[in-house]
Amino acid sequence: MWKLFENHIRLWLQMGIMSKLLNKPLRAFTLYALIILILSIPAYYWVVDTIWLNELDVHNKTVEGHIKDGFKKNNLSSNQITEAINVWSQIQPGVKIRQVQPFEVKKDSVYEVIRPNKYANEVGERFRGRSTYFYIQGKPYHLLVETNVEETHETVIAIAVVTILFFSLLVIGFILLNRKISTQIWRPFKNTLNQLKSFDLNSQKPIKLAVSDIEEFEELNQVLTKLIDNNIAVYNQQKQFTENASHELQTPLALLKSKIDLLLQDKNLNKKQLELITTLNTPLARVSRINKNLLLLAKIENHQYSDEQIIHLNKVLNENIEILSDYAANKQVSIENLIKETIMINGNKHLLEIMLTNLLVNAIKHNIENGMIGINYQAPVFSIYNSATNSLNKDTLFKRFISASSQSPNNGLGLSIVKEICNRYNWTINYTFTNNQHHFSITFQ
Amino acid sequence: MKILVIEDEKELAQNIADYLETENYLCEFAATYTQALEKINLYHYDCILLDLMLPGGNGLQLLQAIKEQNRQDGIIIISAKNAIEDKVSGLKLGADDYLAKPFHLPELSARIYSLIRRKQFNNTNIIEQKELQIDVLAKTVKVNDEVVTLTRKEFDLLLFFIGNKNRVVSKSALAEYLSGDIADMLDNHDFIYAHIKNLKKKLADAGCGNYLKTIYGSGYKWEL
Repeated sequence: MWKLFENHIRLWLQMGIMSKLLNKPLRAFTLYALIILILSIPAYYWVVDTIWLNELDVHNKTVEGHIKDGFKKNNLSSNQITEAINVWSQIQPGVKIRQVQPFEVKKDSVYEVIRPNKYANEVGERFRGRSTYFYIQGKPYHLLVETNVEETHETVIAIAVVTILFFSLLVIGFILLNRKISTQIWRPFKNTLNQLKSFDLNSQKPIKLAVSDIEEFEELNQVLTKLIDNNIAVYNQQKQFTENASHELQTPLALLKSKIDLLLQDKNLNKKQLELITTLNTPLARVSRINKNLLLLAKIENHQYSDEQIIHLNKVLNENIEILSDYAANKQVSIENLIKETIMINGNKHLLEIMLTNLLVNAIKHNIENGMIGINYQAPVFSIYNSATNSLNKDTLFKRFISASSQSPNNGLGLSIVKEICNRYNWTINYTFTNNQHHFSITFQ
Repeated sequence: MKILVIEDEKELAQNIADYLETENYLCEFAATYTQALEKINLYHYDCILLDLMLPGGNGLQLLQAIKEQNRQDGIIIISAKNAIEDKVSGLKLGADDYLAKPFHLPELSARIYSLIRRKQFNNTNIIEQKELQIDVLAKTVKVNDEVVTLTRKEFDLLLFFIGNKNRVVSKSALAEYLSGDIADMLDNHDFIYAHIKNLKKKLADAGCGNYLKTIYGSGYKWEL
């Protein structure tokens, strides 16, 4: 249970890690845009605030100049001045004038202050002020000019909102563009990929990759075409080699066989020598069988035996059983054919014969004393089973030249051929070992 | 009897000739396409053994050339190619038999024997040897005019021995004759003992002389 869960997690993680090529730059671009835009918020704020404050300083200075000039131009009496200042201070909130003692006079300065604004109903309003001292009729006065400035947090929020808006637009744009690019630009790549997926070295059908106007894809296609052509050539050479080698071996084998037959006619040979000569036939038969099988495999792979017909399987099977009956009887193995219905199979007759022969011979060979062989059919599964002592090695069962039995050596090609024939017609072959019996079942499709 | 061996492997051709010699067959040889064509145009043969892969041409073309002359020579293809297509097209073109290399010489001899007999005695193909009488077409055997009932395999074996008269035939050649291509898949050929034992017994019971001899250590011989 835990294992299943673990597998699910792993799969899920893998899916998460696996992503489309274009999503990688998209993620990077998006992240980069996010960083830049976040960094831009304080930068914008600084720029806006500086311009704003500069502008207000100029404004405050202008107001100051205006006031100073006003007092200079209008020759007012001391009382009038005091009066005007009082009235002014009450009505004009941004400007404060008050008389100071000469020792209080300082240099002009600029400041910022935050205080509540009861008119705007705000707790902390930011003000930019200018403090200056000037003289009217020889008396020092302190002049304060203050102007309301946008608060820091308000500016930051406004800039952030705008930035986020633009960021969203940017991301949406990225995604849409990405989608468009991935379908358009990657089309030739996907075509190539699909072609490659359908390529089968065995079928010998060279693939035709579409011409692309994108340099990288065109280069890829060219390299792939070259690679595939090379592969086909090497594969063909290899197959041709097996076929030629087997052909070449037939003649010396024929010579050996005929020499043995001739030698047996020699009247000067004694019994022992004759016996020795006769035993030569056994290894010779083995070599000749291996050679035949190699040739057969090469031919099947080369897609020879292409003519197909509807075959009466029962008939072929019975002929095979008949040929092998004395061999089986000699080994005291009984063959029981339980097939009742008629089986018609589409395929090459020769190949079907070979398949059945190999299965039958194996069943007789790898049997026990007084053993049995059963043959059955339950549409669409044909099965052949025989008594035995040990299970065969499933991993090496259909491999060439690897004996799957720990008991007896053989040339290990019989089942490879059966498998190859099954592959060719998309039949599936299965092996199980139950109740001390080898079971081979072939599912015809 | 004249036999033409068209085979580029000279040693194999010689082996064939040596084996057939005892049966009073006279063998001639051709190792190339042109040599073969020359011989065919000049002489008639009872049987032609034809290899398909020849220097200078394909044996199938040669076969076509023979058949175009409307001749009666028996033709056995002996080929290393063992391709079904070659076998089919060879037989279609008019070859009488097809034998794949490597083969046992007794197998070839038996086939030549039966082919020549078939050509010579079209309707009444009856082999007579002393008290033994074999009707090849009806597949019946008589000993002193008494019918002996043989199984198909026993009958085939008898014909095989007659076709290899006075020569030692190995167990392996007999197995190959009975089981065909499958023989070399089988790990032993002891199953032929039973057939031979039965054949011997049936013939002896019918009063036939003991012509089928067991040659200890090597095989059997039909001795006359």
